[in-house]
Parts: sequence; C-alpha cells; structure tokens
Amino acid sequence: MTNMGMGGCPGSRMQDFREDTKGGKEEVGKRQSQLRQWPIQLHLVSPEAPYYQKSDVLLAADCVAYSVGDFHKDYLKGKSIAIACPKLDEGQDVYVEKIKSFMDDAKINTLTVMTMQVPCCGGLVAMAEQALQSAKRKVPVKSIVVSLQGDVLSEDWVQ
Amino acid sequence: MEKYLNAPIKEIITKFPEVGRILEEYKIGCVPCTLGSCLLKDIVAIHNLPVDQEAQLMYRVEKSIYPDRDIKKPEGKASARKTPSGKIKYSPPIKRLVDEHALIKKWLELIPAVLEKVDIESKIGRQLILDGLDFIRSYADKFHHAKEEDVLFGYTDKNLDIIKTILADHETARGHVKAMLEALGKGDEKTVFEHLNAYKELLTEHIKKEDEILYPWIDRGLSTAQVGELFAKFDEAEVKIDKEVVERCRRFAEKAEQRIEKIKKEVTK
Repeated sequence: MTNMGMGGCPGSRMQDFREDTKGGKEEVGKRQSQLRQWPIQLHLVSPEAPYYQKSDVLLAADCVAYSVGDFHKDYLKGKSIAIACPKLDEGQDVYVEKIKSFMDDAKINTLTVMTMQVPCCGGLVAMAEQALQSAKRKVPVKSIVVSLQGDVLSEDWVQ
Repeated sequence: MEKYLNAPIKEIITKFPEVGRILEEYKIGCVPCTLGSCLLKDIVAIHNLPVDQEAQLMYRVEKSIYPDRDIKKPEGKASARKTPSGKIKYSPPIKRLVDEHALIKKWLELIPAVLEKVDIESKIGRQLILDGLDFIRSYADKFHHAKEEDVLFGYTDKNLDIIKTILADHETARGHVKAMLEALGKGDEKTVFEHLNAYKELLTEHIKKEDEILYPWIDRGLSTAQVGELFAKFDEAEVKIDKEVVERCRRFAEKAEQRIEKIKKEVTK
C-alpha cells in the first residue's frame, strides 16, 4: 500500500493498492450475484417492499461492496439490502425515518450495518442507533467495520 | 486417550486429580461442578481456547493420565490461560439473559446477611423470606429459566451433557424452593436456611457457568438470522408473563437490602 500524502481527511486521502493486488490465484468460473431486489439506494427503497418484510437487512455504506472481495457470498447472501453514503448523501433525516420504518413497519429480523474504517462512515451506524432508539420495536443491530482493503476490523452488536 | 475424551469429567478427576488442577489453570472450573457429567472432549471444545493453548492442555492432561506414554509435546511454552481481558461481548438476546442474572445475583449476594440476621419467627423476617421465594419462583424460574428451557436451549443439542447439567441445576434449585416452603410452613428455620444457603451456592456457580461458558459458546454458534429470531422469541415469551409480576420482582431485588438493614436495626435495638 502506498500512501500518497498524509494530510487531509482519511476518507478522501489518496492511497495506491496496486502492488497488494498483484499475484494470487487466477479465479475461474462465474460467481452468482446474491442481490435479490431493486432498487437498493436508501432514498429509493421502500420499507413496504415485500423483500424487506421480516428479513435480515444489510445497510451498507456505498464503498463497502467495492472493498470486500467476497461481499456477495459472505455478507449479502440471504439478506435484503440498502446502501447509503453518510458523508455525501443529502436528506439524511429521511434515512433515520426509513431505518425506523424497517424496524417498526417491515418488522425486520435484524439490521447489519457495514461501514468502512474511515471516520465519516461512523455516521451510518449513528443513524441506525438513532432509529433503534426511536423505534417502538427493537431488533438486534450489528456493526461491521471493514478496512480500505476489505478486511473485517470489528464485528459488534450494538447494545 | 479416546476412552477418556468420551468419559465424564467427574470420573476422570476422581481417578486423576491432577487433571482437575490442570483444568483449573486453564480457567476451566469443572472441579466444583455438582454433576460433572460433561465429557472431556466437550469441555475442551466449549471453552474455545486458542489452538496452541488447547494443544498444551491436551498434552498435559494426556501425560497425567498416561505418564509413561511417549507423547509428542506441542511446540511453544506451556502457559496457563490468562483471564480474558475486557468484557465478554454478547448478542442482544443473550445480553438480556445476562442482565437478568445481574438482578438475581443482587438477591443471592444478600442471602448471607439474611442467614445471619433474619428470624423467620418474626413477621417482618418471615415476609422477607416469602418475598425472596416469590422472587426466585416468579423471576429466576418462570421469567428467566423458562426462556432458557423453552427457547434458548432449542438452539442447542439438548442431549449435550453441558445442557443436561444446566437443566439438572434448574431442577435442584426447584427442589430447594419446595423444601424451603415446606420448612417455612413448619416454622423450621434451620431447614429453611440450609436450603437457602444451598440455593445461593448452586445459583452463584450456575450463573458463572452460564455467563462465562455456556452463553458465549451458544452465541458463537448462532447466525445473525438466529440472533434476530431468538430476540423475537424472547419478546413473545415475555409478553406472556404479567408485567406487574416482573416489576414486583425488580422492586424486591432493589429494596431487599434496605429491608435487611431495617431488620438488623430492630435486632440490635
């Protein structure tokens, strides 16, 4: 990994991983997508959609799926998804209401919030916590934080 | 060694006391266990030791059973297990059970003072014992143990010896409560206190076993979806229990210390 400069926001600091991705086994065959719905962006999705009802929901920061190599197989499989960027998206108060609606109206089974290690991503977990506190119905919420190169750094239940 | 891996731990410790001492070094507390029916292989698996420590432990156990046998010593230092630093992390439904334990422990910790200061002949003393028994039956048993027996253990193999041990503890606890009620009816303070003390000893060890070993082990085996299911099933189970009864029990545990203090003052008057 080459750091292209130390200053500025860790979320937008330039880093070069080209050397790290060299080598390794050549993969053959085609991997099946585990996406079972459309749309996926949090502004566009409706908690009333059938695939959210009583489901295990994955709320992923936009960058996560690009970082984690086995995102579909290890994290998306069996779950309904919504994606958002807590740094750049507008209208985030709507996000909190929508996550709350997942809990109260769609009666989801669990919510897994997957974010990057950069500080600005913490906002997505905070939104989920805010929604959980204001929701009438409580559900287990898990927070998974991944590194810029896709390693899981922590996996904790939000209590 | 296969023979001993599939043998109940009590049998092994009785025959080879050194095994008990080794297990204690690795924070595996089988020696004081009342039942000791868990198999050695299950005990080692359930404690989730790091690979190198498990190899060391098994080497030492095997060597103490077969001192003359030529057993390959695993590489690395034979270090005993350190107490894990930091708190154990539980999933939300399991955390709920651990929080309930905290309330039960509040009452258990007061029992020595009850044994020392309370006279069951007095109205105030008798009422404290009756309320304590109501707490045990309504909260510790119907509210808490029922969730374990009717819901949680459904996510495990009920034929496992560790689960059998836990269920046997529940039954023994119920036996102590029954005996206390009978003795209280006869005004037999000695028997009431004997069973109350035995209940305290049993539950203190039982809760430790669950918080530190059983619950983390069950948690490790649960998928995210199962955690959600378990959480919802606990909600359903709790709805069936009268909220006022649960509140009454909470109030009892919160106020019991004050009541004992009051009794203490009356005794010293």
